[in-house]
Amino acid sequence: MNALVRNLRVVRRMTAADIAQQSVYRGAWIIFMLANICMPIISLLIWRTALASGAQLPVDERYITTYFVLLGVVTMATSSWMAGFLAQDIRLGKLSSWMIRPASLLAGFVANNLSEKFLKLFALVPMIGIVWWIFRDSMNIPAGPGRWALFAISILLGAMLVFTIDILIASLAFWMDDVSALVQARVIIASVLSGSVVPLALMPEWSRGFVDHQPFRYTVSFPVEIVAGQLTGPELLAGLGFQLGYVVVFAAITRLVWSAGIRAYSAVGA
Amino acid sequence: MTPVHDLPPVIAAHDLTKTYTFHQQRAGLGGALKSLVKRKYETRLAVDRVTFSIGRGEVVGLLGPNGAGKTTTLKMLSGLLYTTSGDLQVLDHTPSDRKHDYLRRIALVMGQKTMLWWDVPAMESLLLHKDMYGLSTAEFDRNVAELAELLEVEHLLNVQVRKTSLGERMKLELMAALVHGPEILFLDEPTIGLDVVAKARVRSFLADVNKLRGTTILITSHDMDDIEALCSRVMIIDHGRLQFDGGLDDLVRTAQPRKLVRATYASPVEADQLNGLDGVSAVEVSGPTVKLEADRERAGFVMEQLTRLGPLVDLDVADADIEDIMRDLFLRRSTLGDAP
Repeated sequence: MNALVRNLRVVRRMTAADIAQQSVYRGAWIIFMLANICMPIISLLIWRTALASGAQLPVDERYITTYFVLLGVVTMATSSWMAGFLAQDIRLGKLSSWMIRPASLLAGFVANNLSEKFLKLFALVPMIGIVWWIFRDSMNIPAGPGRWALFAISILLGAMLVFTIDILIASLAFWMDDVSALVQARVIIASVLSGSVVPLALMPEWSRGFVDHQPFRYTVSFPVEIVAGQLTGPELLAGLGFQLGYVVVFAAITRLVWSAGIRAYSAVGA
Repeated sequence: MTPVHDLPPVIAAHDLTKTYTFHQQRAGLGGALKSLVKRKYETRLAVDRVTFSIGRGEVVGLLGPNGAGKTTTLKMLSGLLYTTSGDLQVLDHTPSDRKHDYLRRIALVMGQKTMLWWDVPAMESLLLHKDMYGLSTAEFDRNVAELAELLEVEHLLNVQVRKTSLGERMKLELMAALVHGPEILFLDEPTIGLDVVAKARVRSFLADVNKLRGTTILITSHDMDDIEALCSRVMIIDHGRLQFDGGLDDLVRTAQPRKLVRATYASPVEADQLNGLDGVSAVEVSGPTVKLEADRERAGFVMEQLTRLGPLVDLDVADADIEDIMRDLFLRRSTLGDAP
């Protein structure tokens, strides 16, 4: 059987099992979903109030509204929570039970992310739908399907980028005793530089060059900008090129670090 | 040392060596702060130039005290660890390459690590293995039915794993490890923590698997009953070196060259009646009972002499308990023979 087909079957089976397992912990599931939706809605209300109070921003109310309504979906779709789990599996030797089986070691983590998204979609989509309906008259909604298709592609690339960065950070656990500080630092840096807390369009002018080209922009902000913003055709293409480039570069670095890490793996514990 | 098997080897290790590098840190705040600035790294030799081969269908016990290098050896054989030096071939593969064809022909069960998903029934994990190992539905159903019957776990397959007992879980672990029909089964302390009934069931199952499927089994265990019940051959590792490789009987003969003799007479025996009896030691006389150790070669002569001391009620001749032998060996850290 072809290795790709076999691994896809494994991912499908693991995703189904993960959904079954995560369904056991309903309370945690609800809290995670509320966390995903609450922050963008609170931010939306704050920025709309600021605009209504006469704040001078480089973007208008329609941009801000569209941005924060879509933010919950994009953050959920591109997020990954596996760095801490993978690092722990490496440190405690739990990776061993997967290494002795003939499937990609990442299948479990891909499945875990997919199952998380599948479960969150159930509640997130209706909630976003309600917010969308409330603010529908003050949002930028692209007319044709082209932008939505690019939005979907960009979300997929963003998810791959976050996933790859997560594996890279977790892989350092092959050499370091504890990478939780790095994981935490990544979360804090990414929340600012990805545009999850403040839209990158509101960043100071002097930081534009850096902010527009750093990788975290392409994990959240760029997909949202495709719908909410006024990106021109060349800007869109350049952005997608950057996004794809970051995915390829991080994937190559991660593959190198992972391969070296597996050689250094000490499989602690009996 | 002469190998006890003449079967084609499925495992061949030559000068297998593994070293670990780690840093030492003194206890306390001072030690922690010091380690932030300067660390002292040390290298530990876990497995030291070990050479052996194992034939298809053999059941071999890998013994040694804690930290001797048993589990490290098992991890190298199963592909979890890269070797530092030496040659290692298992089923004509280098294990650390972790090729699909290799991984689908082996299984590793670690007594303290689980392969099963905790929150869902074991059947979910078995179905995952069906996909991982590319088993057909017919093959999967047949294997599951056979293993479930042998292990008596039919009623547990659809129960959440976390709701099963330790013994039940180990049976399910074995089932998950064997559902794809591996040619080699590596077992690391498979009966640890189990009660006597569960241990007996697991041992009997493993013996059946070896007999019915011809599965080669390499097992580490601190429970000598596991070893006696399953292994015709044992390898003893200590300080990373292979100290003994041979049959269990050879081990007993080499490590404990004396037989334990216990004779009970119809009436009390005087100690001086045993004076002049050659080749005996550790003589104890208690009323009508005489206990002594006799040289293996002179055991027949000693027994003949004992029959002349008076009317015998009972005569028992035995080898030393394997558990005692191993305890003595580990305490003495003695070298039993030349490592191959």
